[in-house]
Amino acid sequence: MTPPTTGSTTPTTIGTFDRLLLGSRRMDVATAALLRLMTLLCNHRASLRDMLRSRDGWVDFTIGIRTESGSVERSITFEQGRAASRRGISGHANAVLNFVDDRALLVMLRSTPNEVLTLILDNDLVIDGSWGHVQLFNYLLAQVAGAQHDRKLGRIIRDDRARRKADANPEHERGRDAFAARPATRLRAAAVDPGVLHLSDPYLSDYSLEDFPLLRRFLDDHLAQNPEVCAERPRLLTDWHREHGFETDATGAPWDPVQRQGQAFAHVMRHKTPVIRDGDPLPGTTTTKPVTGSVVFPDAQGLMIWGELDSLDKRMLIPFDISPETSRTLHHDVFPWWIHRNFREWVRAEHGDQLSQQVDERWVAYFVWKSIGISHTVPDFGPILTAGTSGRIALLKEAQQTAVDDEAASTYGTMIECLEGVEAYADHLGAHAASLAAEAADPDRAADLRTMAAICGRVPRHGATTLREALTSLWILWVALHNENADTGLSLGRLDQVLQPFFDADLQAADSDAERDSLVRRAIELTGAFFMRCTDHFPLSPDIGNYLFGGASSTQALTLGGVRRDGTDAVNDMTYVLLKVTEMLSIRDVNVNARFKRGTNSDCYLRRLCEVNFITAGTPSMHSDDAVFASLRPHGYSEEDIRDWAATGCVEPSISGKHMGHTGSILFNLVAALQMTLHDGWHPRMRLQVGPRTGAVDSFETFDGFFEAFAIQLRSLAALAVQRNNQLAAVHAQHRPTPLLSSMMGGTLRSGRDVTRGGAEINSSGTSNIGLADVTDSMMVILKLVFEERRVDFASLVSAIDADFEGHDALAARARCKVPLFGSGDPEAVAMANRIAGLVHDTWTNHRNHRGGRYTSGFWSMSQHVAYGCLTGALPSGRRAGKAFTPGLTPQPLASKSFLDNIRDVAHLDPTNLDNNMAFNVKLVPDAKDSRDTTVSTMEAYTKTYFDCGGMQIQFNVVTAETLRDAMAHPEAYRGLLVRISGYNAYFVTLNREIQLELIERAEFGL
Amino acid sequence: MTGAPPLIVDIKANCLDDGPGIRSVVFFKGCPLSCVWCHNPESIAPRAELSFDPDVCVGSGECVDRCPEGALQIGRPASLDRDRCTACFDCVDACPAGALERVGRPLDVAEIARLLLRDKPFYDHSGGGVTFSGGEATGSMHALGELARTLVEAGVHTLLQTCGAFSRERFERDVYPWLTTIHYDLKAADAAHHRDVCGADNRTILDNFAWVMDRASRGGAEVLPRVPLVPGITDADANLDALAHVLVVNGAPKVQLMAYNPLWGGKALKVGRTPKYTGGWMAPDELRRCADRFERRGLQVVA
Repeated sequence: MTPPTTGSTTPTTIGTFDRLLLGSRRMDVATAALLRLMTLLCNHRASLRDMLRSRDGWVDFTIGIRTESGSVERSITFEQGRAASRRGISGHANAVLNFVDDRALLVMLRSTPNEVLTLILDNDLVIDGSWGHVQLFNYLLAQVAGAQHDRKLGRIIRDDRARRKADANPEHERGRDAFAARPATRLRAAAVDPGVLHLSDPYLSDYSLEDFPLLRRFLDDHLAQNPEVCAERPRLLTDWHREHGFETDATGAPWDPVQRQGQAFAHVMRHKTPVIRDGDPLPGTTTTKPVTGSVVFPDAQGLMIWGELDSLDKRMLIPFDISPETSRTLHHDVFPWWIHRNFREWVRAEHGDQLSQQVDERWVAYFVWKSIGISHTVPDFGPILTAGTSGRIALLKEAQQTAVDDEAASTYGTMIECLEGVEAYADHLGAHAASLAAEAADPDRAADLRTMAAICGRVPRHGATTLREALTSLWILWVALHNENADTGLSLGRLDQVLQPFFDADLQAADSDAERDSLVRRAIELTGAFFMRCTDHFPLSPDIGNYLFGGASSTQALTLGGVRRDGTDAVNDMTYVLLKVTEMLSIRDVNVNARFKRGTNSDCYLRRLCEVNFITAGTPSMHSDDAVFASLRPHGYSEEDIRDWAATGCVEPSISGKHMGHTGSILFNLVAALQMTLHDGWHPRMRLQVGPRTGAVDSFETFDGFFEAFAIQLRSLAALAVQRNNQLAAVHAQHRPTPLLSSMMGGTLRSGRDVTRGGAEINSSGTSNIGLADVTDSMMVILKLVFEERRVDFASLVSAIDADFEGHDALAARARCKVPLFGSGDPEAVAMANRIAGLVHDTWTNHRNHRGGRYTSGFWSMSQHVAYGCLTGALPSGRRAGKAFTPGLTPQPLASKSFLDNIRDVAHLDPTNLDNNMAFNVKLVPDAKDSRDTTVSTMEAYTKTYFDCGGMQIQFNVVTAETLRDAMAHPEAYRGLLVRISGYNAYFVTLNREIQLELIERAEFGL
Repeated sequence: MTGAPPLIVDIKANCLDDGPGIRSVVFFKGCPLSCVWCHNPESIAPRAELSFDPDVCVGSGECVDRCPEGALQIGRPASLDRDRCTACFDCVDACPAGALERVGRPLDVAEIARLLLRDKPFYDHSGGGVTFSGGEATGSMHALGELARTLVEAGVHTLLQTCGAFSRERFERDVYPWLTTIHYDLKAADAAHHRDVCGADNRTILDNFAWVMDRASRGGAEVLPRVPLVPGITDADANLDALAHVLVVNGAPKVQLMAYNPLWGGKALKVGRTPKYTGGWMAPDELRRCADRFERRGLQVVA
């Protein structure tokens, strides 16, 4: 397998021959030889020389290679189709690869392109300059070493299979059948929720997946097929820009970027191939692939896969299919055109190499999502489903008449153009459906395709009147949005609220019970087909993504339940229909989040949430409205708006339809700030003086003095992240506005501004702060052992940490066993966690984002608790180097033997510090002898009590470590095994080994 | 009137197998019986004891320096001379790893109640409560009664797990009014056999059983009789038949059978006791045979 990203492990083993190379100057000679070989091949082998040519001519660039010691310093230049290598690196190099030592360079020279990214994560390779050019260089290297790389990737996969086989243990298979049998037992219930108008058993227990052969087929395809990379959007987009210009238009005048983006988008939609999958009741696909495809965003992070283009299908984790033609198109026609036109390079061009960018590109202290996208929000679908795009266009035309300024008038016009592009796409789908109907052999399918064609004639242009029209309209809009916005958690919002009127209208029109039953069944099938379409839209990610964001999909959050804007119970028929689909399909994306309002929502509903969580093992995640409301009130939103919150991406609250919250702006490593405090502002992994000098640890006389130094380091690191985020936000606004998304967001009709430019009604940026439990526990150890009990002096503790506690067993044991930790029920530890969360919250609150909004603070971690943990040394808490942090803000397994202590402590965190939500992960193990009723009742009691005590969010993995180990050894038997990481779901078997082990080692509580 | 605070081994929260709902179990220290298979051997002696787990020991030697009696020795394995130990527990504080622990802590009733009531919302939402176990909780009769009363007055469901060897008069006066449910363990029907394997006569136990069953039939605390199935000791047909007879004549409608769990052995060694009995997991057909002995008398067997 691809190796873990720990500092102690390098991607390639060093052999005897290699050892000879590691002598003095020998690496320099080897590097020179390799570069000379590349030069020769490029200059004399036509096929390779051809790789240097884009559609716009030769790609000229220079890459430097050096080691920190200076033992190697060479460069290779490509100019007008000729390559030349030389000693030394000129100041004009597009990028320089800095290796920590000869060994790292040797590893790089022998690595496959995906493995190079592992070196980067380890900070053994630091890139200065353009990542696009480095990726191009990697691509060329892969051409030179292609066959060798393929053999190596094959070997990695073979070794992995052998290792898995060796790990197999028949005892772990004990629970396999019981696990597989979970969907067969289903509770039923009498309807008690006032909003449930039609379902007599809202749990819909009579239905199972086997009643829906279409969904069964879609699900099997989904689990069996790799997503395929699609070149259509990038090709259309690049061709349009080649003709019409990017910075300036065909006449040489500077473009208005909003107009340019709108016209290019409309071009893509007008020329997009209409695709209808066999049997699908919903027309359209985000790519040209009928089953599962990936959109490429060369105008965002798309270039990151350049080096891997020819090995995407061979990598071990989440491989992608890619045709040679697609690869060629992307390499020759698309990527070179965008090599200077992407977020990273725009910021670098404007600001030069800055510390804030360096830290971002070293991956261990923060990650700023705006290098990928900004559209982490919930569009306002309700009005468009009701009044259609034509209704929206009418409003935009009206607004145009009274536009506040030229930009507004032009922006309204562009939004109209975008919506018309969507309508054109719908027309093409309609025509395609009609032509498929004419060819269809099956008369039922032909009739259905004719219906589909008629529906495409009505929606999204006009308001939907049936559930099928509403879902068709929504899906076409969703396709359009994903052809404008890179995959960063664009979210569906409160679909039960949006869809209920259509379901209700369908059912009202029914004449008989039989017709009603058939409509309910059809609603489940349509909604299921919608889920499958969403889940089969899968983001393209370089292999590094498998380590940073293991198994993550686009993370299309959907929100259920809670209360309406007027405060009344929002649970309705569609809430339960969507839950039924969630239960039957058990897929990683859509990311289902359920709201629960104490005193308003019924126990019947909460119980159903728990049952679905049990059957699927990992979804939905559950939120308490009381706590989320409390976290949002200090922002001054109206009470109606607060009641209308929806989860975005993972768990984060946005006010539905009007809130540009980019809630996943910054993934921030709190532990990095602690490490910097322990090392006087120096970050050991980055080998950089990132923060101010706050003093050596033995200079702190009191714990409060130390804590203040931590606050200083945290603030300085946060300020860097803010600088980076705001600069990226500025280039979004300047170069890549999103007028289609803007046309669907509340507030833009009045402001006349794109949402990247602050046009939405509400603006903010969300952070996620990773490692709260690890930092709290470390602070408790420092407080108790260093300052209160004086068991160890501070400098000795830091020496022990730097030695990864080697030879300090007693100290490590005392830290782990004798200090009250967060989650143990100890009030002092909870107070410490609140103190740190408060500091974090106040730090972010003091900043403003590019759109004038506030920063919010969340405590969920995606899979960054594993990635950051792998890259982080030992901690005062006794945590060893390279171990994962705890997910979200979950207490560490040692904290207490009682899950109730965990629940109480987490519930006692002050919600006002958690205004970007949190993730509390709990692994529950059901008792085989308990009835379904007992198991679900216990889960319900936990959840209810947690909410009563003030808890905000909770997510259960109801699966044993034994079953997870079985799945590691027999992935083929667990293709669809869903697990909750931290805020999102993934298929366990697609995860890297470190994340798999983290899930296995999580505390396990009996049910 | 307040007596000496009872010795508590542990308060275990989030228990799902000791009565209905989510429960906390209070383990009292001290037991009038000494069953050879006892699953909680650390709770038999009615005094605080030192527990040492060599598997957890990291060999820091900090305990050796702290021990005023020279009872501890570092080495592989580290050792503890229990004859020298005066149970001052200084070493527990010194040990960084938690390998040395004090078993049995005097906690006054108010403090126990405070700890238990933190979890009241869980009891309420799950139909759970507090279970008194041990050792033998009735060994601290007065404190048990006070505790049960405090909990009932706070609205908590109470359950006693007992071996039945208690003074009925005091039990009836101090404890019984505050119990909702009793799990009543019956081990051996024959008096001599009982003396042999449990270290005491079973007459009181059987008398008390008749009494709680009688009270239950008249609206008193609900009783669930339980029989531990210990291979070669309690699981003989003759014993089970005799116990079934006791249950039937006392009007019990059901019985819980508790299969022997071999995982407890290590617990005895930690407090310096040598396990007097070791057995393995019971086979399913053995369990079936045992259940059959009760079912043929019309008793319902619960898992």
